[in-house]
Amino acid sequence: MLALLPQLVVSGTSTGMLYALIALSMTVVYRATTVVNFGHGDMVAAGAYAVFVFGLGFGLPFLVAMALAIALLFAAGFAAQRMLLQPIVAGPHLSLAMMALAIGYTLRGALRLQWGNETINPSRPYPQDVYLFGNVVVTTDDAVICGSVLLLLAALFLLLQVTPLGKVIQATFQSQRGAALVGINVPLFHALMWGGGAALGALGGVMLSLITPLTPDLGQWTLVQGFAAMTLGGFGSLGGAVAGGILLGITEKLLGFYVNTVFIEITGYLVPILVLMLRPQGLFGRRAVVRV
Amino acid sequence: MPDALLIARGVEAGYGSRQVLFGVDFDINEGEAVALLGANGSGKSTLLNALSGFVRPRRGSIRLDGMELAGLPPHRTFRRGIVQVSQARDLFPEMSVDENLRLGAWTKRGDAARLRDRVYASFPRLFERRGQMVRLMSGGEQQMVAIGRALMSEPRVLLLDEPSGGLAPAFVSEIAAIVAALKRQRVTMVMVEQNLRLALSVADRILVLRDGAVAEQRGGNADEEEIVRQIYL
Ligand SMILES: Nc1ncnc2c1ncn2[C@@H]1O[C@H](COP(=O)(O)OP(=O)(O)O)[C@@H](O)[C@H]1O
Ligand SMILES: [Mg+2]
Repeated sequence: MLALLPQLVVSGTSTGMLYALIALSMTVVYRATTVVNFGHGDMVAAGAYAVFVFGLGFGLPFLVAMALAIALLFAAGFAAQRMLLQPIVAGPHLSLAMMALAIGYTLRGALRLQWGNETINPSRPYPQDVYLFGNVVVTTDDAVICGSVLLLLAALFLLLQVTPLGKVIQATFQSQRGAALVGINVPLFHALMWGGGAALGALGGVMLSLITPLTPDLGQWTLVQGFAAMTLGGFGSLGGAVAGGILLGITEKLLGFYVNTVFIEITGYLVPILVLMLRPQGLFGRRAVVRV
Repeated sequence: MPDALLIARGVEAGYGSRQVLFGVDFDINEGEAVALLGANGSGKSTLLNALSGFVRPRRGSIRLDGMELAGLPPHRTFRRGIVQVSQARDLFPEMSVDENLRLGAWTKRGDAARLRDRVYASFPRLFERRGQMVRLMSGGEQQMVAIGRALMSEPRVLLLDEPSGGLAPAFVSEIAAIVAALKRQRVTMVMVEQNLRLALSVADRILVLRDGAVAEQRGGNADEEEIVRQIYL
């Protein structure tokens, strides 16, 4: 039994990287606006469908389709913030969360209209291979997902820590009013972060489409996993979102194998309950309270 | 006499159905230090926030150098040179003194180093602690960072909201010295201050806010007792 442990950790890490990316993209929006984007999962799903439409529908090469899907979701996130959230930003915080939820349901409804009864199995743009390291199997999917997410994380880390723009972003995360006091256009910043969050989410959707069949309800499951990873890592922490995602991926594989396969489905629901009861600030949390 | 630098006429502002300012008028000349006094809740912060754009005036006009500011959001008034040190300071808590200062001039990239050296020259204490995280500093030191950050953009008008508020006595006199130095450098200032002695010691002129309007204007050598009566009675 224990001989399979390294294999489970490797596969779990690969899924976990995807969760990490989704949780990170939700955290970006949350840190920028203090709104939990309950529609985020559906943006991820929309990204997955967009790459399918651009790729198989319009016959564009995969990388072009991917770039277009990401750009489209950036524009959608930006526009949603500008047109739907900014007008009510002075109102009750809860209505912002409800609006985010409504945006998600609208996207999901649109996907259902078009693909309601279908399950789409997009094809991979690369041959499916396996590599053996000792007795651990690494698939091309694992390598592509882990490699892309790690590259992206490195780029984001550099952007935030090293560039002047990164300083401005961090400053605005820390104090919105402080940011406005030094001349930062905070409403524009919110729109850019909604766009950026949706674009990162779309990239997650693209990778998800490599390993999962697409259904219009994909966003539901995605939101739960992203939320679980955020809670586990510590709500609002960027590093925590990444660590939480990877841990969640490994945990569900271990529980699924050693305890019961049902855990692969329900770990994402159990984790937030346990974390909120035992350690509400999560593993690397900075804030114990989630404003909805 | 040339036109004043900052001119407010009939400024009305409030929150939802609660109106706080009912027609504020004043002129502030270049290089002048004006103290804005008034009872608690009389709308002093609201007026500063209306000038900087955090509160949108419902009526009236605010002109800087003849250009209308009323209705502009804070990042636009900032670019015109209205820079506020707010009552809550609103610093970047997880960043160092140095980073906070630099962000104060992020709109003028090239100049940041020169401006920062100037701020450090007037605040040696900040220079000593330039690497320290702002969250871990005392209230008085944080207030210095907030003033320093505001000076980084070379404001045309500096708005100070209770710079000595909530500080230990030792810091109150230090802040008083800083404000006095700013006045000597002829920084145009509008200062809200509960500490009357501090306010009277630096102000060229005093405005008293009462019932949502400027009830009284006096020269800086006004009698303390007389002012207290104006504010509260
Ligand atoms: N954000 C706000 N929402 C609603 N009412 C406010 C807000 N800020 C201030 N007020 C009210 O407006 C009035 C003036 O407040 P303020 O300008 O802060 O007074 P001051 O600075 O002179 O103490 C007070 O009655 C206060 O309760
Ligand atoms: Mg006040």
